[in-house]
Amino acid sequence: MPSTPSLDGIPLFERLSPDERDELAELMEPARFGPGTFIYEEGGPEETLYVLTSGAVEVHKQVLPGRLHRLATMEAPTVIGEMGLLTEPRAAASVTAKTPVEAHGILRDQLLEMLDEDSLAACKLVHEIGRTLAERMARTDESVASLIGQLERRNARGDYDPDVFGDRLLSEWGF
Amino acid sequence: MGMTEERLQRVRLFEFLTDEERSEFMQDAEPAVFEAGTEIISESTEPSSIFVLTSGRVEIHKKIPGGRDRLLAEIDADRDATVVGERGLLGRNKASATVRAAGRVEAILIPRETFWRMISDGRPAAFKLSYRIARTLAQRLTRLDEEVVEAIRDLERRGETDLEAFRDRLIVEWIS
Repeated sequence: MPSTPSLDGIPLFERLSPDERDELAELMEPARFGPGTFIYEEGGPEETLYVLTSGAVEVHKQVLPGRLHRLATMEAPTVIGEMGLLTEPRAAASVTAKTPVEAHGILRDQLLEMLDEDSLAACKLVHEIGRTLAERMARTDESVASLIGQLERRNARGDYDPDVFGDRLLSEWGF
Repeated sequence: MGMTEERLQRVRLFEFLTDEERSEFMQDAEPAVFEAGTEIISESTEPSSIFVLTSGRVEIHKKIPGGRDRLLAEIDADRDATVVGERGLLGRNKASATVRAAGRVEAILIPRETFWRMISDGRPAAFKLSYRIARTLAQRLTRLDEEVVEAIRDLERRGETDLEAFRDRLIVEWIS
């Protein structure tokens, strides 16, 4: 039987008391992924939230047919699957292990049930996730403002090259 | 329950809290009135409070690169009491747009410090509110991502897309 994982030292769980950490840890299953393994596949289910304790993952999305666009590389300690938890349990992008990855997985449904029951441990975890989303939203604000500015300037000048604009959108958007 | 707390109960972001939990948020809250034209939140500054708008109309404005000011949306608090500035509870971010009173606006100010103190003290009400804000943020980010992906695909498919419509959808998703 796998041992209960330790969540000590993982920034996301710093605000939790030892009892709250234990409450979440009891629901977690250890998981390992070899390099190249899919953790989520774009369009597929995203029903488990993983807390990565070691290794790195890559995030890819097929924005255009036949072309896989690399969106990000993320290194432990971090969490993946948070968007599936807070929105729909469907992966918007693929996540693959770049190196050997060790993680703890917790089922989305279990976590949502805890949140519905106002579990303080679950709410604290989501608070930390929310802080990372707020940072991402701040970056997105900049991207949106810049995009709108480009579109306004295009209107003013009338010099618009769809290929250039599409490429810029692809490379500059934060996802 | 005081009148201010009663008004808070009608706001979607706070409706899941118990009366006692809402009272915690009201400890340092203050009622405020903004006359037409007053900036309730100014773009690029860090608001010190969140604002529960309980009556009146506000406009959301954004500076577009090039110095122009663009009206992004109007919110009618008479129809639906609403909250602005809540994202600032999860990070010390500057306001991404200006919220300006379009007429006489009544609001309840809840200092961000109240929320952060409640977080430090481990108060469940603050974490429950965080969960709701995080969910809203995640939904907003997802919709924006989808909008941009769709525009890129359109550009590739047809070499052309209705960029005016794209811009407008982007604006709507951004502030909704």
